[in-house]
Amino acid sequence: MKVPRSLVSLLTALCFCVLAGTGVLAFLRPFSLRLVGLHALIGFVFVAIVVFHLLNNQVHLRRYGRSPSLWISLLAVTGLTLVFVWQPAPIRGVLGLSHNLGPALDRFEFNQEGFIYVYTPDPNYRLKLSLRKGRAFQTDDPPELAIWLENASFYHIKTLHRSQHTQHARESLPYWDFKVRGWEKAKLEADQSGRSLAEVAELDGVSKATQNSSFNPKDYIVPYDSEASMPYRMLVEINQPGDNQPSLVYSVEIDNADPRTFQLLELVGYPKQETSSDGGEEKWDLYYVDQTFDTALELIDSVLLTIEREMGS
Amino acid sequence: MKDSQFGTDRRNFFQQSAFGAAAAAGFAQGSASHVVAQSAPDVTRPEVSNEVDVLVVGGGTAGHVAAIQAGRLGAKTLIVERNSQLGGTTTTGGVAFPGLFDAWGQQVIAGIGWELVTESVALDEGTLPNFAKVPQRHWQNQVYTNQFLYAILAEEKCVEAGVEIAYYEFPQSVHKTSGGWRVDCVGFGTKRQVHCKQIIDCTGGAEVVGLLGYPRLRETERQPGSFLFMLGEEHQPGRNQIHRLYVHGADSTNSRTATLANLTGRKSILAKVRKERKRLMHLQPETGFRESYRIQGETVITVNDYTSGRVFDDAISYAFYPVDLHTRSGVKPKPLKRGTVPTIPLRALVPKGSRDITVAGRCVSSDRLANSGLRVQASCMGMGQAAGVAAALAARRGTTPLELPIDEVRQCLRQYGQILPDSA
Repeated sequence: MKVPRSLVSLLTALCFCVLAGTGVLAFLRPFSLRLVGLHALIGFVFVAIVVFHLLNNQVHLRRYGRSPSLWISLLAVTGLTLVFVWQPAPIRGVLGLSHNLGPALDRFEFNQEGFIYVYTPDPNYRLKLSLRKGRAFQTDDPPELAIWLENASFYHIKTLHRSQHTQHARESLPYWDFKVRGWEKAKLEADQSGRSLAEVAELDGVSKATQNSSFNPKDYIVPYDSEASMPYRMLVEINQPGDNQPSLVYSVEIDNADPRTFQLLELVGYPKQETSSDGGEEKWDLYYVDQTFDTALELIDSVLLTIEREMGS
Repeated sequence: MKDSQFGTDRRNFFQQSAFGAAAAAGFAQGSASHVVAQSAPDVTRPEVSNEVDVLVVGGGTAGHVAAIQAGRLGAKTLIVERNSQLGGTTTTGGVAFPGLFDAWGQQVIAGIGWELVTESVALDEGTLPNFAKVPQRHWQNQVYTNQFLYAILAEEKCVEAGVEIAYYEFPQSVHKTSGGWRVDCVGFGTKRQVHCKQIIDCTGGAEVVGLLGYPRLRETERQPGSFLFMLGEEHQPGRNQIHRLYVHGADSTNSRTATLANLTGRKSILAKVRKERKRLMHLQPETGFRESYRIQGETVITVNDYTSGRVFDDAISYAFYPVDLHTRSGVKPKPLKRGTVPTIPLRALVPKGSRDITVAGRCVSSDRLANSGLRVQASCMGMGQAAGVAAALAARRGTTPLELPIDEVRQCLRQYGQILPDSA
């Protein structure tokens, strides 16, 4: 199929301009589905046109393939790709300058004082969790941790972060793992029965669903009605492998109807599996910390949650 | 209805069956289906009189504990109760899940109330909450008790402590005397004159304090009451909670307002039965009231005292519950900050400017928000026990509760199993 060279070249150039422009804007501006959608869809068109562009220029391309520039180009692009995927600190710093790409969804990084987790699901909502490490926090061998949200019925609704190196969450972060499995089980049951997740949760007998029992994180984080009380909880489970102490769970309740910018997470307790003589379903509960804990209590100095909201905008 | 085959009527058949079964099991007549009440002297004469050390008015959540405590300290004690059983909100109100006895993993209220709760749970083969476990919701560590057993056990412990019980009676007038008080009570067929050294007012709304003319506080609007019932499902006492009807405007200020609340609640439940076409399986005899009068005491517990966990110098009990103000739109409990455990001072149980009278229960001297957390049963039991100690010791010493050395009151409370803050 022969397509006029002038048409293909102009289409390629113009599509490239749109791609480049939307790419730069996506870096500079807060996330916009319109912008990112345009970028992605024009990208598909660009790929299609490039095929014709390559067909029209195969003679020149064959010649390029025999020049030393091929290897230099391959090496450069491969190197940049690897660095950008790996994202070392300087690259993350550049991404952090972006209003979109860096903290667009979430960003987690260790620093001298502990770690910072930033979650920006919406341009009007930026959530930052700053953990200041305690005396027992080992920077070389950091503790395993999970950060998640629960609805008013104490059901897991979204995991924001979990340690990448966690191999056996059931042992190291059992409470988070139990909550996630409960949520997945309820989802499966809802899918199979055709009922909503809230209905399934209400019937499971573990926790009675309330009117705030939505399982959609958006309903809590960025509610349409900021006046309605939709409290939810953020939890952090942390465990230092090898310290022979159970994990500890910290939590805070968040309610956009009662907005507070700064909130400290408080120690709730440690998870323990309920012993059931009748071999019933596995169940984990939290228990108050007792005197058997020592270094586990010093993993964290404090956890500060900062939420910047621009409600109603 | 006559049963021709057996030549007897149905009622006789049941009676004979019961006797037969009892006889077969080796029981004597009167042990199971039949008992004989003791006869009282001069039952046809309405006038009776008592001379006691301590008169407890109201046998509810705080009152029966106060009476048992005073009796155990050797005080000659009489308890008058307008209803037919002890326990109040726990039994007659049907809120048979008293709490909270624990805070932040530790038990903070014990003593006689806890003794009764644990005994009734054990007798009922129920389970106690594990206080080491973090409750997901504040009410999860309330203790499910069998309201019927609880009421009987409360009576038994009163009798064991030498407390005389007078049901269906209520004070009509109170007069100061040289030896203490003269209280005229009336029940049906009974006019009782009581001479006592100390009064403990456990009427919920501080009715005796009102009769004496001491100032009381009352809001223009009261929190709703709860009428408890069970529709369509079997009620298992001591195992689960029953259905709850919010009666807005429920007011226990006097018999007229209480009557209105009960009529409104029952009418609504009847409508439910007709609409839902379900069997009414259980109905409490009256509305459980949350709020009426509070006294103006020598100390007023403010919401700041409550939420900051202020340890009063004369603390005689812990209390623990969220700030829990029920309104027309429902309730959104405000939990206490982690580690906070409020305390109740003895001076909040003493009407301002009074002598020889204490209160215990939800009429404790407090502002409205503090009261919304203080009014729960475990705290009322703690107050009741403290009032029992203070009144009994004061009667023994011939003084008034606030003139007792507070350390002596606190030491006595500890001896009888109560938990108190160390630093007070």
